[in-house]
Amino acid sequence: MITFTKVSKGYSDQSPALSDITLSIPTGDFVSIVGQSGAGKSTLLKLLSAEEKPSDGSIVIDGWDITKIKNWQVPYLRRQIGVVFQDFKLLPKFTAFENIAFAMEVGGADPKEIRSSVPQILKLVNLVDKANTYPNEMSGGERQRVSIARALAYKPQILLADEPTGNLDALNSWDIVQLLIKINKLGTTVLLATHNDDIVNALKKRVITLNQGKLVSDQEGGTYKL
Amino acid sequence: MIGITFFRVLRNALRNFRRNVWLSIATTVIMTLTLLVISFLYVVNVIGTQVLTTFSQKVDIAVIFKNSATDEQIKTIESNVSARPDVADTHVISSEEALNQFRARHKDDPYIEQALSELQRNPLPNSLYIIAKDPQFYTDISNSLRDPSYAQFIEKVNFEDSKQIIEKLIHIMAVIKNTALLVTGIFAVLVMLIMFNTIRLAIYSFREEIDIMRLVGASRWYIQSPFILESMLVAIISVTISITTTFLLLNAGAEQINRFFFAGQNAAFDIYAYAISHWVQLIGTEFGVALLLAVMSSYIAVRRYLK
Repeated sequence: MITFTKVSKGYSDQSPALSDITLSIPTGDFVSIVGQSGAGKSTLLKLLSAEEKPSDGSIVIDGWDITKIKNWQVPYLRRQIGVVFQDFKLLPKFTAFENIAFAMEVGGADPKEIRSSVPQILKLVNLVDKANTYPNEMSGGERQRVSIARALAYKPQILLADEPTGNLDALNSWDIVQLLIKINKLGTTVLLATHNDDIVNALKKRVITLNQGKLVSDQEGGTYKL
Repeated sequence: MIGITFFRVLRNALRNFRRNVWLSIATTVIMTLTLLVISFLYVVNVIGTQVLTTFSQKVDIAVIFKNSATDEQIKTIESNVSARPDVADTHVISSEEALNQFRARHKDDPYIEQALSELQRNPLPNSLYIIAKDPQFYTDISNSLRDPSYAQFIEKVNFEDSKQIIEKLIHIMAVIKNTALLVTGIFAVLVMLIMFNTIRLAIYSFREEIDIMRLVGASRWYIQSPFILESMLVAIISVTISITTTFLLLNAGAEQINRFFFAGQNAAFDIYAYAISHWVQLIGTEFGVALLLAVMSSYIAVRRYLK
């Protein structure tokens, strides 16, 4: 369970990125977060991965108040939260296998575990045949699947996807969304920040709408409305 | 688990070193030069101390007694002086002994022998020679002999010439040491600045990896250790080059050093043998300085980036 209580995030010389957000996301939920650019979608995800700290309020993940998190605890939090970005953030000199293995190495996984887990993750994202391929030899959709595979390396409880289809065509976007649904069905809570109204409307899942940092709508089975 | 992590950190450090190989070489050269200056300082200190010791062993205070001073009075003064904690040795030479020594020294000179036989009495006085435990004590000992109670027995205290030479030597040593320390300091600052920039450039070339490491939950230790280890690697290579060069140079130049500084001495001083027997001190100092400079500069550089 993720709980936001009266969370605000402000930057010194701007209007608040998030203002007085209160919401709960049960474990295993699939939530789309929509809103125009600058509405606060990315900020909300960054608060969850402790890339940013809220100016006010509290965020609790499974009983852990991460607003009081110490610097040394951040890596442990991030190993429980997978993050996927619009620009993939893959290492260009590493193959798909190595990109995923890199994340596991960082967390201290032993070589045997890496050798057995990476092929399984690649199978989950349907990229077994691309294991030894470099990112620049892949399509955008494949790169994003590698990025998702890397995010799954720790078997996270929560997956944060920040505009994962932003750089993809419609077909690849649907592939990615299908993959996120599959991951969600395996028990992972998925938070999808997106601009894509077709995807949000087709998903028929919970939709949280932000506007200028404020929560303006929170609907189960909602649609993209701005 | 710790072994695997350490292996990965070490592998990343070696990769950093390879990726910025020219920068790493430049840093190694500057650090090696700094350590060679430290070696030079060490050698100068050892040779200087040895020269001073050898010279000071030859220096003494010569107390010339008046003819009126009796053997008993001379003995009393000698025992007073030798009771001092700063005195290493005392030695009385009677006027007869002094004459015999003088004759022996000039036995081939008939004019001196003739001049002595023409004299009705022994012209040489009784004297007392004092050797201090350290050259710096001579002034105190000399002053104590100027006590008014000794004035009726003592004709003269000969020390001023030796004092001036010792003071000059101590001064030259201090100048050399201070100059070498200053040069070491300048080099140390240079090493820190260059090392700091090397690590910053290394961080820049690894920024993508660092960002992804942070994203996927790498601990601060895991991210910064390879950079610190890389700088320690530079330190170890520099110490190895510096120490090898120092020992090779000392081995090649030991004889010349001995001839130049200790010519005519009874016991030869072998600086190479000395350095070999004190290798722990020399290598320990260089390792200490190199690692301190390396770890400090890389730690600050990485910390600033991770903030």
